[in-house]
Amino acid sequence: MDWGYINARMRGMKSRLLDHRTLDALIIQPDIDTLIGELEKTAYRDDMIEAKGRYSGMPAIEHALRNNFVRTFRKILAFAKNDEAEQYIRIFLHRWDVQNIKTILRGKNIHVTNEEILECIVPAGEMDEATLTELVRQQDVKAVIDLLATWRIPYARPLTEGFPAFATSSDLGMLECALDRFYYQDALLAVAGTGNNKAIIRQVLATEVDMVNIKTVLRMVRDQVEPEEAKKFLIGGGFELDEKKLGRLLALHTVAEVVSGLGATRYRFLSDIPEAALEAKKISVIEKELERYLVQQGAKSFLGDPLSVASLIGYFWAKYNEITNIRIISRCKTADFPVEHLKEELVYV
Amino acid sequence: MVGWEVPIGAAIAFAGGAIGTGWAQSRIGAAGAGAIAERPETVGSIIILEAIPETLVILGFVVAAMIILMVK
Repeated sequence: MDWGYINARMRGMKSRLLDHRTLDALIIQPDIDTLIGELEKTAYRDDMIEAKGRYSGMPAIEHALRNNFVRTFRKILAFAKNDEAEQYIRIFLHRWDVQNIKTILRGKNIHVTNEEILECIVPAGEMDEATLTELVRQQDVKAVIDLLATWRIPYARPLTEGFPAFATSSDLGMLECALDRFYYQDALLAVAGTGNNKAIIRQVLATEVDMVNIKTVLRMVRDQVEPEEAKKFLIGGGFELDEKKLGRLLALHTVAEVVSGLGATRYRFLSDIPEAALEAKKISVIEKELERYLVQQGAKSFLGDPLSVASLIGYFWAKYNEITNIRIISRCKTADFPVEHLKEELVYV
Repeated sequence: MVGWEVPIGAAIAFAGGAIGTGWAQSRIGAAGAGAIAERPETVGSIIILEAIPETLVILGFVVAAMIILMVK
């Protein structure tokens, strides 16, 4: 395993990510067409030109970003083929499989058209576009799960187990939680054992589990769900918040209490959120801060051991953040969001 | 009268430098290949970086030569 080679490529690819000045140039564009013009001056040029041939405006940007993201990670997988690194990359790419299955299930649950579902799919994981398209063609949630089981795709197992509960409650959250739990437990199992690389990935995954659990606790407390019922939606394997601590948080009565309950943990930065937002039970504000923290922690991995998986993790988060930033900018352009507030919505790493 | 120690000493000095150079160049070469794949414009710097460990083997050669010529 030559981490020197992978690290050099990751750093080379990172140098092509958009810097602060380019992002600022994108922010000040007056409309979506000039934004597309500006993006054509960046590393997204080829994807933008290709997308413009078929779409215009916002769909063109979405299509170009999605293609770029998928192409980038296929390229990384190609040069890390048959290596220890491939196993680690796949752990991160599997989350796109989970995300895609969730998107399909949501779409089927609310009877959205197949075309609309396909537009939201990001085939960056192991399931390619053809597989996902076939899943989208299925009639309903049950048919999607059955097809996954027929193809012996591992995600069928948690979905099949969770389906009876979904059938009685019609709460898709049950299936989504089962998928998340399966993904994180499977990923944590894959990096169990000794070794610097495994420890780095375990830490990243465990922090993500904490984030997912905090978001779940906040929603449960806001919706006044009974702690015993809410515990069913928690995922094990968190970095700092074990079942006991989460149970204590679930017993609290308000979102503000949960945030102050996290004061003794590494998530104490949440207490900087304005009290007005907490009192208004604006969970989206808290979720945004958690996301910001996760991205910044992930991108900081670049400062870690260069002969390890750290640079790969750093790039993954930096690229994900770049795509998210461009999407935020483009959506704000279509919604005439004031430029002066737009910067606050972005995460700079 | 020069015994067997001198050529053996010279060989060790040269071999040490050569092995060190080989190891360093393999690591630099791998990272350099990665850098050139992403940024072809760095090829000049990478070639220079790749050549730097050659000094080790040259040093080993000089020490080996000194052992052979100066130890009598």
